[in-house]
Amino acid sequence: GASFGLYFPRKEYSENVYIDQPAGTPLLRIHALRDSHGETAHFHLCQNLIISRARSHENHWFQIREKMGLLYLSRSLDREDFNMLSVGSWMPLSKVMLYVFLSSHPFQEKECDSATRTTVVLSLINATAPACSSLTARQLCFTEMDLSFHIKENKPPGTFHQLQLPSAHHLCQNLSITYKLLAAEGLPFRYNENTTGVSVTQRLDREERERYELIAKCTVRDGFREMEVEVPFLINVLDEDDSPPFLPNGTDTADAVVEFNRKEGTVLAALTVYDADTTPIYPLESSRKKYTGTIVTDDPWISETFRVEHIFDEIHFSPNGSQVRGTQHEYKLVLNKSISVTEHRSFQLDVLVNDTEFNGPEKSVMLHFNVSILPVSIQFPNTTYRFTVNRNAQRFAQIGKICIENCMKFRGVNITYKLLSPNVSCYAVGILQGREDRYGSLYVNDSSVLLRPECKEIQYTVQATDKQSRKHTKTLLTVVLEGTLFKKEEDCPDSCAMSKHLAECEECGGLGVLTGRCQWRQGSGKGITTNYSTCTPSIKTCPDGTCDIVESKDPAICPQDCTNGNIIGGHGKGTGNLGIKSGHGICYCFPRQNCYCEKDDIKEQFCDEVCKTVI
Amino acid sequence: LATPPSPPGQDLQGWRVPVDCVRASELCAAEGSCSSRYRTLRQCLAGRDRNTMLANKECQAALEVLQESPLYDCRCKRGMKKELQCLQIYWSIHLGLAEGEEFYEASPYEPITSRLSDIFRLASIFSGMDPATNSKSNHCLDAAKACNLNDNCKRLRSGYISTCNKEISATEHCSRRKCHKALRQFFDRVPSEYTYRLLFCSCKDQACAERRRQTIVPSCSYEDKEKPNCLDLRNVCRADHLCRSRLADFHANCQASFQSLTNCPGDNYQACLGSYTGLIGFDMTPNYVDASTTSITISPWCSCKGSGNLEEECEKFLRDFTENPCLRNAIQAFGNGTDVNLSP
Repeated sequence: GASFGLYFPRKEYSENVYIDQPAGTPLLRIHALRDSHGETAHFHLCQNLIISRARSHENHWFQIREKMGLLYLSRSLDREDFNMLSVGSWMPLSKVMLYVFLSSHPFQEKECDSATRTTVVLSLINATAPACSSLTARQLCFTEMDLSFHIKENKPPGTFHQLQLPSAHHLCQNLSITYKLLAAEGLPFRYNENTTGVSVTQRLDREERERYELIAKCTVRDGFREMEVEVPFLINVLDEDDSPPFLPNGTDTADAVVEFNRKEGTVLAALTVYDADTTPIYPLESSRKKYTGTIVTDDPWISETFRVEHIFDEIHFSPNGSQVRGTQHEYKLVLNKSISVTEHRSFQLDVLVNDTEFNGPEKSVMLHFNVSILPVSIQFPNTTYRFTVNRNAQRFAQIGKICIENCMKFRGVNITYKLLSPNVSCYAVGILQGREDRYGSLYVNDSSVLLRPECKEIQYTVQATDKQSRKHTKTLLTVVLEGTLFKKEEDCPDSCAMSKHLAECEECGGLGVLTGRCQWRQGSGKGITTNYSTCTPSIKTCPDGTCDIVESKDPAICPQDCTNGNIIGGHGKGTGNLGIKSGHGICYCFPRQNCYCEKDDIKEQFCDEVCKTVI
Repeated sequence: LATPPSPPGQDLQGWRVPVDCVRASELCAAEGSCSSRYRTLRQCLAGRDRNTMLANKECQAALEVLQESPLYDCRCKRGMKKELQCLQIYWSIHLGLAEGEEFYEASPYEPITSRLSDIFRLASIFSGMDPATNSKSNHCLDAAKACNLNDNCKRLRSGYISTCNKEISATEHCSRRKCHKALRQFFDRVPSEYTYRLLFCSCKDQACAERRRQTIVPSCSYEDKEKPNCLDLRNVCRADHLCRSRLADFHANCQASFQSLTNCPGDNYQACLGSYTGLIGFDMTPNYVDASTTSITISPWCSCKGSGNLEEECEKFLRDFTENPCLRNAIQAFGNGTDVNLSP
């Protein structure tokens, strides 16, 4: 769209305007480059001056030569004009802006809004024009703005800049100001000494070189005095879509296997396409539309079940030593919905990649994905489950986990575990499953059953069901009660976490204990550590940094993993603000109240440098 | 306090004293013709560019009337009451007129007239405790200590630190939105004697420079999974009135100029540091990119990768942060406790 017609080789021009400069003073010269041979440029100003601070005023002072692009003063700006144009300006320097419009045919009125335009910034200097002798070579030769241009690739050659400043030339006719373009040997740019114009001599190819750095040198002679200045002269080559997509190493095929991971959003495979053109990531959506990837299929099931995701990234090519930017497009085959465990098929899925703005025969490539969807079986491992439970275990003691074959590898498969009613009188255990859990946790549900001598070996049937396919499987579970009952200590708290010392910890029981006694974890770390000392029902499950489904049943089981209350002393909180991830010394808790982390021995050394930086 | 120095060769008589935009809109609302023109202009500007708007006679008439009203030159103050409302009024007029594609936009804020030396004078009150003579001293640690001795600074600092460090879930390690809000509160409500010392302390070793880099809790407020393109980030920022205003203010006060000794507009370091600080807590939050002690490099969290034909513009935008002599001089001047002495 935007690549047709004439264009400006720079976005902004600048010049100074002084009080009482005479009408007819030339200010600056603007050039346009062509898109095709035979076009002629017409320049035009719109009727308004934009004054800084969002004020505008009708333009009475500036005009442009329609064919030559020379901006000049058509009426002198007097002090009154200056005051009017700088009202409301806060800056010591007032600036006004003009838009110059461009067209390939003579302008008629009101064409301002649609045509290509560039901005001219005029600095209004609150003084009369300076004497030539007071100006430095830098001021006589160049404006404040960088000499930086952009030229579109594949366009006809032409003049894009004039080094001589029309204003300085007009003002200081006694001085000799000459220019040279350095470092241009062998490059497609030429300087014309008579006009001081710089032109591009041939069509440029961005994919070969995208940046040229030259030097503009200026010499000012004033009688016997000679001054020289050099400034960088930069040309950026603008890209257009003139390269077709291609495959790195010719790879156009990839395998995509669906087995345990069947969840919506799973990336099954990816293939890469290169393009020597650049692709702006901004605005993202329009670039996505320019480079499409579509699944070629008549099968509605395939188009519902899969989608293609396109991401792209800038990469560099080095065609002849110099680096140029290009694009790597990645097309990912993604599951658009979760696939049932019973599904079983294989086929080839083709994706058509299309570089829509490229005008050539090879504008597209075909990618192939060999898709195999394997069924997975819902079954328990061959053996039946057998767990032993100590008769001294207390409520919420975790006995073990129930899991069908490969259950931990599953994604997007919802298995629920259930105990089918056993002989009713000895119902000692239950099963719980967290929302995201792929296994069932077996725990002591009723500890009074453990005390009854008639309950010795309890038989259960466990059933696992896949929610989506309603497929289910069963196995036998035997829970054996063992060990002899011992007398409970008096005055023991019901939570292990309340004990602060090894001795009181190991002589008491608490919710969740497996053998009737709490376990002490002796921390070894210095400072605030995840390996803090604490008293727990079972070192295996608490504290392990996650508040599991059984622990979350009662705050007294493992507050170290589950508390959301205050923690006093040096500590770090766990994920989602739950539990004590790390603590200083010994951590103990009063369930539903505070937790404390503190060093037990008083003769601890003073806070050292390590300790300070934590604050 | 010292009066602001007037720019050389400029008389102050022609300058209008600005009214804040909230007040200006109240004045306008009290006057029948102004309020109806204001309504007309807002309708004209909605979804139209400048030139289409000016082609409409009614719109043009409204514009001409409003040019004479206080709404036209109104400005806002940083951290004022109803700051957002003020900026909304400002942009309701300027959005269509200032042209969205402008590289640098005019700042809607009043110019900062105080100078760094004012801060140094106040800072010396509590610098008595500093072992400033000790060459091994860590200025960033001293700044943290000074903050902790002030109730307000300590409260708001620990406020943002705990908010920015609060883990939400295994996948979301903090709430960026809340962290940004807490940072904005800190920098809005704590005097710059404290906040500048934390942000711009000078460092001789890496531990100090790392502490300086960590000041804004960059893991939450700054870094992100991916680095967006800077022009994309600028667009996101410009869609928000506050962020847009703070960015325009940064450009107005930190834009490198080669006509002044310090490379800063009006040689005003304080104004540059103030508008840099004003960007913290927005999408364009800047920070030190590393803990280097020798060179200071500042950048927002973005890169110019994937700029296509706008790479030059993108790099120009990014350089105002990464290679800005005004900003660098201002930070170094603050760290050294030096300000420019302007002869009257």
